[in-house]
Amino acid sequence: MKQYLLIILCVFALSVFGQKKKFQINGAGRAYYLANELDIDRELDSISTRKANYGHTLLDFGISAFPNNNTEIIGMFRIRNELGGFWGAGVSFNVRQLTLKGVAGNIVRYELGDIDIRQTPYTVWNSPEEGNLNEGEVFSQRRRVVHYDMFYNDTTNAWRMQGAKAAFGLKFNKGIDAIRFKSYLTRQQVTDGLAVPERLFGGGSLGVVVIPRFELSFNSANLFDLKETIADSIQFKNSVHTAGFRYKTYLKDSIELGFSGEAGLSTSQYLFYQDLRAPESLSDWFVDVNIHSIIADNKFKLSLGYKDVGSDFRSPGAQTRRINFSQFPRVYQQYTNDAIGRPISYVDFISGNTDNTNKISESLVPYFAAYNNSTPYGQATPNRKGVYFNAEQLKGKAFKKSFLRFSGLTQSRGTGTTQKKLFLLAETGTDLYLNEVLNWERKIKFDLGLRYETTARSGESYEQINLQSVFGDVGMSIEIAKKLDLLFGAKLWSTSGTAFVNERNVYNTIVDFDIVNYDFEESVIAAGIQYRFNEHNVLSTHFQKFNISHASENLTDYGMSQFTILYNLFF
Amino acid sequence: MKKIIFSTIILGLVWTSCRKEDGETIDGPSLNDLVGPFSIVEDITASQDPINFATDGDLVFNGELSKNTTWVIQITGSQSGAVRTLTGSERILSSDNAAWNGGANSYPSFGLEDVYVEITFPDEDGSPILYDTITVTGEKVDQGVLVTSFENGVGSNWNVWQQTTVTAGIVCNSESAKGSCHYSLEGTVTWDWAIGSVAVQPDAGTFGLQASPNNLYYNMAIKPLESVGPTTSFVLLWFDEDENGDGVFDPNTEDRFTYEYWTSDTTWQQISLEYASLVNAPNGEPAETNGNGLPEPSKLISVNMFFLADQNNGNAKILFDHAIFTTNGPYNP
Repeated sequence: MKQYLLIILCVFALSVFGQKKKFQINGAGRAYYLANELDIDRELDSISTRKANYGHTLLDFGISAFPNNNTEIIGMFRIRNELGGFWGAGVSFNVRQLTLKGVAGNIVRYELGDIDIRQTPYTVWNSPEEGNLNEGEVFSQRRRVVHYDMFYNDTTNAWRMQGAKAAFGLKFNKGIDAIRFKSYLTRQQVTDGLAVPERLFGGGSLGVVVIPRFELSFNSANLFDLKETIADSIQFKNSVHTAGFRYKTYLKDSIELGFSGEAGLSTSQYLFYQDLRAPESLSDWFVDVNIHSIIADNKFKLSLGYKDVGSDFRSPGAQTRRINFSQFPRVYQQYTNDAIGRPISYVDFISGNTDNTNKISESLVPYFAAYNNSTPYGQATPNRKGVYFNAEQLKGKAFKKSFLRFSGLTQSRGTGTTQKKLFLLAETGTDLYLNEVLNWERKIKFDLGLRYETTARSGESYEQINLQSVFGDVGMSIEIAKKLDLLFGAKLWSTSGTAFVNERNVYNTIVDFDIVNYDFEESVIAAGIQYRFNEHNVLSTHFQKFNISHASENLTDYGMSQFTILYNLFF
Repeated sequence: MKKIIFSTIILGLVWTSCRKEDGETIDGPSLNDLVGPFSIVEDITASQDPINFATDGDLVFNGELSKNTTWVIQITGSQSGAVRTLTGSERILSSDNAAWNGGANSYPSFGLEDVYVEITFPDEDGSPILYDTITVTGEKVDQGVLVTSFENGVGSNWNVWQQTTVTAGIVCNSESAKGSCHYSLEGTVTWDWAIGSVAVQPDAGTFGLQASPNNLYYNMAIKPLESVGPTTSFVLLWFDEDENGDGVFDPNTEDRFTYEYWTSDTTWQQISLEYASLVNAPNGEPAETNGNGLPEPSKLISVNMFFLADQNNGNAKILFDHAIFTTNGPYNP
């Protein structure tokens, strides 16, 4: 059957080459081989298999059909073959994307099928995972594979969903300049007819351009169960409604000064639940305002803001995490002679060894406080208030994309005590093009990132917290010959102190605290070489060594090395 | 227009920025309760010593702890061996959670005696164990209609029967479930299961019970001592109703409801059954009676406690004590 499908696909592909006006082909190809080796003391673990090799080749074959000037139909099929499969064993044939989009009546843009949704950081926002702060190419090449597969995009921060969306804009001659309207409705959960109700996610935005320098926006995001899709008609509802503004002016015609902000309310309801733990209704609000300025001949953007996100503010579209840290990695799930579960590390994400989500979750899933304790659920992390400052380099020659971010946040409401946690977070990084300094033609680039986070709480001895983590992310790429690069990179994460991690039930109510003493160092060093056939066509090979060491003898130190060959092609 | 919109936004944001703080509200369980240090802030004391439950009401333990944690108050009768356990996890001990009405967890009941009090905190390592002794000078007053506690001898209307080889009668010693006396049946009957019975019939004719059988419970204490086992011996209860009101039970025309309780161990145990449940026979089928078939406690004129044991099992012995009707729930010893 698969062979027939391939033949049909090829014939179809050949036919469309001759019809450039009606069809367009795009997609990606990949060959990926990974060889892992677990490095752990034999006395501690004599039962785990040390080596795990796997890989795959795949082709994402996308066709965009243009039946008329206003319509585009996108279909993308994925053919994937696990290395080691033979004569079809291990081959999968899937539909990766089906989208119908166009413009109705030359006014309304619409998309049906697989669509990307993003609103604001407090309504719908796909926040990045931990362990990446301007990382080097030796890491980002492999991270891009995971992001591509999961439709993650750290530039757009959109979630890939299935449903429909529509948008239109109107311009006016009087009163206001224009309005922009967007709406969407997606399916998040399919009912099983018994206990799981049908769940939809829908909302929209109304943008009002009062004058070109002053805009208002109104956003709504709603996650809700459809009634009577199961016999026991429980119904979960969450609504987030926000309003925002953006205003900018110019001082001396050269310095841009802007104000922006967003504020809103959320309401969560668990209707007709028999479980007495389910809160019937939970409401809270947030506010986030900032002032920014673009200075020094448009080279730098500075912003200073204040935010307050309520403890009961729930916005599934913005608080869903990509990684649930209560799960275990796909490789070396257990280790030691006691076969304990191996916790997820940030290197597991780079290698695609984690189960990531693309479903909006109503639950605040567990996070790893050692990696991110201040904003584990993105900007919309509940129970945080305080100030933040961002400086961003917009233009540069040797140094590019430099940034400095700082936030000082506290809890709105104490957890387990009236004493509130204080979170200080500082992040900085830059891209340094040494060849620009040395006037060399071939690229020598450094990627630098540094993150420092501390969590503190005062009070009685049993309430006190002093958790500190430092994360360094360094990368280097050297073009040793035309299109041939040497890649190096290192990441170091050092954490020490005590964390009181919230343990929540299925209704997001905190029911206990996991009191954990961290004192460990995680490091990964990597080297690789890549050949760039062109910007979208790269062959590379990498080797990385990961180690984790704990100060406590009761915790297990181990390492993992990984050798990869990756060929990535986008067309 | 634009100024109004802009001003409204600024004012709104300023207003919302001022979150109403509630310094006492916290998310999640109290850390003080989970991991805070334990201490007794205010000594735990009994409200009275001595205590007469009939006149003084409940004995209350008052005190304050540094945190919400599990506490256990165990009260043990010095003579009866009766035990009452009070448990809780609140920081404040008071009449809301640490009151003792004089009852026991199970039979035997407390008598007029000294009771030993032991207070422990099982979740707190290294916590002290507190001890006290309190004198009970008056027992609690039972709520209900007493059938008999065998304290006042055999009634004039009672019908007592036993096999010729069986010794039966009221015995007064410290072995009683409640009070000083109980009814004892003991003997070897090699030819029959029937050992003996005592049918209690009040002098007033009926027991003066309510008309409805719902929420009315018959309770009694038994202590099988020999020939004990779920297929070896059992107590058969007869509830005879005088339906025509002539003061006499006629088994041919009136209702006799029955209940079986097979013995299991040799401790004092309580039989409790709702009168309305007598509509079904011991085998679960609808009871076959010769009257109207309706349980009518207001017409009850006799409760017969009948002990039967396997004749192949040798000597059989059982003690009966404290038969009482209660409403809205089983009797609390």
